[in-house]
Amino acid sequence: MIVASWVCLFAPLGATVAITLGGTRWSRRAAGYLATASVATSFVAAGVAFFSILGRETDDRSHLSTAWTWLSAGNFGAGLSVLVDPLSIFMMLVVSGVGALIVGYSVGYMDGDDEERRYFAYMSFFVFSMLLLVQAGNLLLLLVGWGLVGLCSYFLIGYHHERPAAVAAAKKAFIMNAFGDATMALAFFLLIQRTGSLSFDSAFRWSGGVEGSWAVNLVALGLLGGAVAKSAQLPLQTWLPDAMEGPTPVSALIHAATMVTAGVYLLVRTAPIFEHAGRVQDLAAGIGAATLLVAGLIALVQVDIKRVIAYSTMSQIGYMFLGAGLGAYANSMFHLMTHAFFKALLFLAAGLVIHALVGEQDMRKMGGLRRFLPRTYIAFLVGALALTGIPPLSGFFSKDSILASALAAGWYGQLLFAAGLAGAFLTGLYTFRMVFLVFEGEPSAYAREHFHQPERTEPWLWMGLTVGVLTVGAVVAGWIQFAGIWTPLSDFLRPVAEPLVEPTGTQDFLASFGAVSLGIAGVAVAWAIYSARAVRVPAAGPVRALLEHKFYFDKLYDWVFYRPSVLLARTLRDYVERPLVLGSISGIAAGARRIGSEVTELQTGLVRTYALTIAGGVTVLALVFVWVK
Amino acid sequence: MTGWLATILVFLPLAGALLVWLLPIGRFAGSLALLVALAEVGFWINALTRMDFNRAGPAPNFDQQTTWFSDLHVSYHVGFYAFSFWLAGLAVVVMAAAIAYAFWVGRERPRAYFGLMLFLTAAVVGVFAAQDLLLFYVFFEAMMIPLYVLIGVWGGPGRMGATVKFVIYTMAGSLLMLAAVIVFGLSRNSFDLVSTEPSNSNWLFLGFAIAFAVKAPLFPLHGWLPDAYRESSPEVAAVLSGVISKAAIFGFIRICFGKFPGPFDDFRVVILGLAVSGLVYGSLLAFRAPDVRGVIAYSSLAQMGLITIGVFAENTAGVSGAVLQSVNHGLISATLFLIAGAIERRTATGNLDRLGGMGRGRPALATMLMATGIIALAVPGSSAFAGEFLILAGVFSSGWGWAVAGATGIVLAAMYMLRLISAVLHERPGPAVPEAALDLRPAELGILVPLVACLLALSAWPAAISAHSLEHSDGKPVLRELVPATDYRERTREQLLNELAAALKSLPPGSGGSLHEFVLDKTPAFAP
Amino acid sequence: MKGPDLTWYLAVAAFLFAIGALGVMLRRSPLIVLLSLEIMLNGANLALITFSRHHGQLDGQVFALAVMAVAASEVVVGLGLIVAVNRRKLELDVDKLSTLRG
Repeated sequence: MIVASWVCLFAPLGATVAITLGGTRWSRRAAGYLATASVATSFVAAGVAFFSILGRETDDRSHLSTAWTWLSAGNFGAGLSVLVDPLSIFMMLVVSGVGALIVGYSVGYMDGDDEERRYFAYMSFFVFSMLLLVQAGNLLLLLVGWGLVGLCSYFLIGYHHERPAAVAAAKKAFIMNAFGDATMALAFFLLIQRTGSLSFDSAFRWSGGVEGSWAVNLVALGLLGGAVAKSAQLPLQTWLPDAMEGPTPVSALIHAATMVTAGVYLLVRTAPIFEHAGRVQDLAAGIGAATLLVAGLIALVQVDIKRVIAYSTMSQIGYMFLGAGLGAYANSMFHLMTHAFFKALLFLAAGLVIHALVGEQDMRKMGGLRRFLPRTYIAFLVGALALTGIPPLSGFFSKDSILASALAAGWYGQLLFAAGLAGAFLTGLYTFRMVFLVFEGEPSAYAREHFHQPERTEPWLWMGLTVGVLTVGAVVAGWIQFAGIWTPLSDFLRPVAEPLVEPTGTQDFLASFGAVSLGIAGVAVAWAIYSARAVRVPAAGPVRALLEHKFYFDKLYDWVFYRPSVLLARTLRDYVERPLVLGSISGIAAGARRIGSEVTELQTGLVRTYALTIAGGVTVLALVFVWVK
Repeated sequence: MTGWLATILVFLPLAGALLVWLLPIGRFAGSLALLVALAEVGFWINALTRMDFNRAGPAPNFDQQTTWFSDLHVSYHVGFYAFSFWLAGLAVVVMAAAIAYAFWVGRERPRAYFGLMLFLTAAVVGVFAAQDLLLFYVFFEAMMIPLYVLIGVWGGPGRMGATVKFVIYTMAGSLLMLAAVIVFGLSRNSFDLVSTEPSNSNWLFLGFAIAFAVKAPLFPLHGWLPDAYRESSPEVAAVLSGVISKAAIFGFIRICFGKFPGPFDDFRVVILGLAVSGLVYGSLLAFRAPDVRGVIAYSSLAQMGLITIGVFAENTAGVSGAVLQSVNHGLISATLFLIAGAIERRTATGNLDRLGGMGRGRPALATMLMATGIIALAVPGSSAFAGEFLILAGVFSSGWGWAVAGATGIVLAAMYMLRLISAVLHERPGPAVPEAALDLRPAELGILVPLVACLLALSAWPAAISAHSLEHSDGKPVLRELVPATDYRERTREQLLNELAAALKSLPPGSGGSLHEFVLDKTPAFAP
Repeated sequence: MKGPDLTWYLAVAAFLFAIGALGVMLRRSPLIVLLSLEIMLNGANLALITFSRHHGQLDGQVFALAVMAVAASEVVVGLGLIVAVNRRKLELDVDKLSTLRG
């Protein structure tokens, strides 16, 4: 089991190193195969670890294995260690499983790009980083994985580095995540000061002893800052839509299925700390609810197909935050898994559409593609229905269990439940707005002109195959758990994170009924507006402007952070550095020269003046002596 | 031979310098110098295998002492403590890379040039090895002389101004230090660093501290830095920012902290304040610097501020982190300056507005700049992250505000480093970038790859340095451990009251008069 | 030994010194300036000898002899300078000889 998890961790890194060192000696295609094989190896190893852990007693399922001491000084130390327990194995399976499918899809999608090797090196390095994050055996290593996935995200968003927009988006993502890293690091400093260690155990034990103190609240707040930045929740959400500049498989893997859900993983992994900082945990749930509404609203007016899916990702992660914040850990992780399937499916199907339209992403230029791409349409439709939460697709089981838990969590939970229901309506609306705009109706002029049937070459088969597997996954992934009756996943995760709320059967039913009917209502409204064209979109100018400007967050950050720091830098350069620091030395030299030239005036050359000066000087001295005596 | 290793490390390059100067070998001067530099690296690695990192007692490793001026009690005394040994290792590696780069590029008057580079190597290693104050001063000054010449003769068009500024600043610092050295040595009747007792004099401390602050440099004493880093040739800039600045860190740890623990503590807040301002200030200016070298120069200012924060955190984590980060920063800035040199050779400019798009078709350049830049901005998992994490964790335990400011500096580091990377590698090719500009040549890779490999190795195992930077020696002042045995701040009010009640119960009868002292004495919660 | 009081000797010395000093400061001819200098030196010499007699020690007289020697060499240099100036057909006026002006 331990060996399997180390293999799982390092297989993708091996592929990265091999591709980097091999350089052009690898053919483009071989680099893709190698990356896919390495991630698939990880998946197999994760599977081995999973089955060997199933064979153990429940209380023998958590093992820490340390390779070497990574960082130490004095009496502080943190090892390069992996933690193998149900939660990390669950995440390993999701990351390497979805990862293998998406990297395989990339073999087709990136075919013909002239820097494929770089792409596959980055992709497998990302999988390594993500596995490091979920397997980390202590908080420091978790931060390492945390930072490395951000780095890979930077690399891959900026993959098309000749495009200024891509480079800007990559930098933006990295810097916002650096902010989250910094708040996490500060939380860790506080932990080190209090406990002298960054192991999970000591942190959890400590938090139990100081429940509700400002220190534990600050630690939880710092962790939440990291989670919010990584998972693109309010108020650090603005980088995610821009991140869609990256290639579509990157969006699917990093910005939908795995990296952005790391925040949820963190909330669940460090649940004991959050439970002892109750207000911060409530804040996490509140942030989730706010984000799911805001993102759902913004998604209504987006015209770029990938951006709609990106906002939908933010919104779905909002549900997971809501669940994790209220203590429904297993339900959040369940939604994380089903979301990985159906969101990756949506992205990859969108990728097929974009591929078929030679890179066009604007939905206004699409339309009627159902006729051209029937199989893609089915895959996309399955993803959309799962996202909307229509039974018996996977989203239905997982999203509704989060809502049911919210209903069971007191008045605060019920408030958030209402937000979640509103979100379900919005989800149906924006998802099917996208489906109708892209696939239904008459084929648009642009689509007729630019559509080209992809050749059924080997790379294309890779794309079709992986999308097919994901389609099946999006249907069946939810069947591993049915609230109240069949709960293997919750039982599996229970030793790691004991849920705080257990909804009753009535609550489960109420939540499901509400969510499904509102979701269908959303679909119906979308049909009425965008397919049947029976209802016109209300003009509502100001609201529309607010949504199209994404609630003005970008402008706000521009004015509050970017411009002041540029201004400060310029002010310091022009008014401190140049005149004072660099000027000081020239100033000293010029001053000495000026004083010298003034002193030479005393040298008159007249002997009698000198004599008089001497006499005067002697007289003064004499007087001084007399006076002093 | 073990006993002689420190002496060999100091005198091998000196002998090499004399050979290069005296032998009429003309164009082979470079190869001879490179050979000596590589032999020096070899000797350092040999010493590494013989180094005892758990040495007890005050004497350093490879300790060697011979009387020099008996009447003044000055001796030739060399040896390495763990932290100075790492700094010496950094010095020999970076000097070897710099000499190799100069050899590859080719410099006019090679005998003079390479002789000076070797002389500089000897002086720098001497600074890190010296265990006698006067000897330290001699090496410290000997280090400056070749630099004056290297900048002033082989520098860019503005070299004279740069040299004059450099001379004025460093001379001012050196004279203060000389005065402090003399007063300290004469008052102690010995110049030996190992055996003299610490002093409590604020003035002597300031004499040393200002000299080191100029050399580091610490804000606002960095007036010489931008010109010196811009006008000198790339390999000299690499040495200046990578190695020479670390002499200041050595001085802070070995002399300011080792010999003046009292004033060190008193002036802590002042210097921490300057270091934090330098960190933020340097980062902001690096963010707006118009050229490649400007970004690296001001980022060096910021990094030296950060390292100084670690030293003045006054605990094991901070100082270990400072040593680790010194090595990291030395390798990083040397690599970056050499890459900047490679870029300038291809485009004849360092102006960021005129660069760009160099990533496409030049994978080696892109990989090297990307890898170094990413490590420089301390992405978690890199060795620089490890160093900065320890530094900030260390300073956090003595004041959270410093750590918050330091974390701000790290976010700013991401901003300026990404700006540098993008401006050179990404988007459209800049006007100064010729289509035919070559990727890094094998020789350049041969110089850069070992440096980056060192950084990657340290990223895999930063504890190699951080856990082996402070020996358990009773000769050094004891550093506070990062974590106090028990932290009373963490106890709840009830726990404290219970402890108080227990203490009161155990009170011997009839001792009402001294109750107050007793409570204060017995209850650690109230201890200052 | 009886004679005028110490004060009288010193008064004469001061008088000589003052005459010399005024001469140095007021006269323009280098020759007269040199003469006035000699008068100042002799005033100082008189004071030295006076004190020497007063204290019954020979130090002052020795100093006076040294001053005479210095005065003699000074005159040599000074007259040499004046002759050199004259040779160059420059005006013998100290106010006109100001080439050392800074």
